[in-house]
Amino acid sequence: MTNLKGYMGRVLFIDLTKRSFEEFPWTDADRKRTLGGKIMAGDILLKHITPTMKAFDEDNWLVITTGPLTGTGCPNTSRFNISTISPLTNIVTSSNCGGDFGLTLKRAGYDAAIITGRSETPLHVHITQDNVEFFDASDLWGLTTGEAQEHEQLKKYPGRLVIGPAGEHKVLYACVFSNERTAGRGGVGAVFGDKKLKAVTAFGTKLPEIYDEESLRALNKKWNNILRNHPLTGRQLPALGSAGLVAPMQAHSILATKNFSAGRFDNFEMVSGEELAENHMVSNGACTTCVIRCARRCMVDGKIVKGPELETLGLFGPNILNDDIDKIIQWNYELDELGMDSISCAGSVAFAMELAEKGVHDFGVHFGEIDNISQMFRAIAYREGEGDYIADGTKRMSDRFGGKEYAINAKGMELAAYEPRHAVGHGLGYATANRGGCHLNAGYLVVLEGLGLDVDSLTHHGKAALAIMLQNLMEAVSACGSCMFTSYAVFPGFLVDKPNWFVTKAILAVFPYVGPVVNLLSHFTKVAQIPLPLLPHIKAIHCATGMHTTMASMLTWGARGYNTERIANVILGQKADADQLPKRLTDELQDPNNPRTKVPLEKMKKVYNRGRGWKQGIPTYHRLKTLGIILDKKYYDEAVARAMRKD
Amino acid sequence: MANVTVKLFGVLRMGTHLAKETVDIEKVEDLFVSLNKRVDEVYAENKKADPTLEKPEPLAFKHTVIFVNGEPCKNKNRALRDGDEIWLLSPASGG
Repeated sequence: MTNLKGYMGRVLFIDLTKRSFEEFPWTDADRKRTLGGKIMAGDILLKHITPTMKAFDEDNWLVITTGPLTGTGCPNTSRFNISTISPLTNIVTSSNCGGDFGLTLKRAGYDAAIITGRSETPLHVHITQDNVEFFDASDLWGLTTGEAQEHEQLKKYPGRLVIGPAGEHKVLYACVFSNERTAGRGGVGAVFGDKKLKAVTAFGTKLPEIYDEESLRALNKKWNNILRNHPLTGRQLPALGSAGLVAPMQAHSILATKNFSAGRFDNFEMVSGEELAENHMVSNGACTTCVIRCARRCMVDGKIVKGPELETLGLFGPNILNDDIDKIIQWNYELDELGMDSISCAGSVAFAMELAEKGVHDFGVHFGEIDNISQMFRAIAYREGEGDYIADGTKRMSDRFGGKEYAINAKGMELAAYEPRHAVGHGLGYATANRGGCHLNAGYLVVLEGLGLDVDSLTHHGKAALAIMLQNLMEAVSACGSCMFTSYAVFPGFLVDKPNWFVTKAILAVFPYVGPVVNLLSHFTKVAQIPLPLLPHIKAIHCATGMHTTMASMLTWGARGYNTERIANVILGQKADADQLPKRLTDELQDPNNPRTKVPLEKMKKVYNRGRGWKQGIPTYHRLKTLGIILDKKYYDEAVARAMRKD
Repeated sequence: MANVTVKLFGVLRMGTHLAKETVDIEKVEDLFVSLNKRVDEVYAENKKADPTLEKPEPLAFKHTVIFVNGEPCKNKNRALRDGDEIWLLSPASGG
């Protein structure tokens, strides 16, 4: 139980092998230390994992966590998180989802659920306020994510988690669905599949108590206004969704094209957000509690379904030399039904195309040829023929066939659609992101490097410090239970709205030189004892839970989360200096006439590691201790020695 | 005078209902006078079909990200040549 408001005060522990459940000990001190979401999950995993543990071990835990703002009425807070050892990367992955499961898990009286063990037969786990039931899921096994959620056995529950055929066949980037939303990255769906866990549902009628209801209600009103009036969250995202980035990415040469060999695509307008909004979108869509409404609704086969986001448009458009948006809309639906991450799938398909083009191995897919892509999706999801190789992702494909220098992944996870040679800070983010090549876990520096603001995108100056700051901040925002997009409102509207105003230009010119100050704040997080009106999460946490919260708290939680996941990765076998990018991005110029158009990774990493208090990508024992991450010194030393050893 | 093609993207396009225009102008700054005339014309036409339509904000150099022939342009006095292609964009974000 808890004395803090906002939380439900209970964590559920479910053992699929024994078909049993119990309460997992989690104290208010733990809550204050980790806040919730992915930071809480990372902390739980750090205490559980061992150096030899693998994703498909029976005792690999799935840790499903909500945040303290989930279910409190704050805008955009229906998010929940699933952390586990990733089969794609063999390190910790955290995958965030906007479906309704998090809200209903809280209504059932739990802040989090940990799932361990493995069933011998397909299973559906149902969580209620007083019980956990284990139902046979044989009738659900084999169904797509949509079919499963519409099945009699599941459709009566508002909060559902399901996997599709890709999860059942342990495709290494299979995802988990809740409604139409996805815990997409890192292969959490494959871990579900390995445990024979087809579905989890929850039901309850509880609501979290609020510490200061009146103030929270007033804050939410203001917060809604901030989001509705901000140029990014109030205008661009509702009008064009994340797909609206295609044109700016083209302009700034960061639209990944032909397996990241270029940053521009001649026919970009045919797969743009404008084309999607004007000619294909039926309506906006949104996660529950969302006021931004960035989702696109489109028609496929006479049904209104979720439309593609930027990543799917970019990676199944320019990155495979395809300009047929109707196909992308169709593929997006097929990938969702099969239960696969479109980013990793697209990255793997593009890599297969390049291997074929170079005459290394013909997988049956080729740049610019799109007629057999749907068949390839099925082959991947069911691990048939050549699809079986592509189901393992680019890292394993390059281990088997070669081409490591153009296998576009970081730590084994495929990169999102932003080509980083024209946004070098974003490249640093990709390389240093704990879960691998993820744009959001990276700190999303590209929003500063041309898309939202116009900071020099080719300079390395200041980028390390900004990456650390944004990574920490987004880590904390995510742990609140909030959508990451709410953090974009932290950039003052006038900076975004007036890119050619002399004041904006003057402020942005200073950005590359803010490194020392930002580093100070990131390292000595307690310095920032200030509220920040453009980051209402700070006040909301206080109003919801009663915890004294400042910018310093957010940065400390963020740094703690980032360091927790990082040391967990080292324990799981991540090597020193694992923060790398494929050579195509660090050694080959995107523009042969411009020597700045490659990612100066080593230069930025030096500053980054110093700013983080890390050595070769590994947190020092002292740094962990100052963040309250306590490990046995001998255990830590052994893990570091393993990481330093050259195999 | 140079005959140039202008393409609008993002909320600039959604707000003005202009996607692609051809205009005769000398320099970048002139673009906004020409385009705002077109914005008014298109608004008047659309208003007939939808009387509730709100008038869009006029386009302005200050609020616009500009690329000329694929290169960023921050100089409103930049001279233009026949056949130049101008992209007008609004700042964007996502994930």
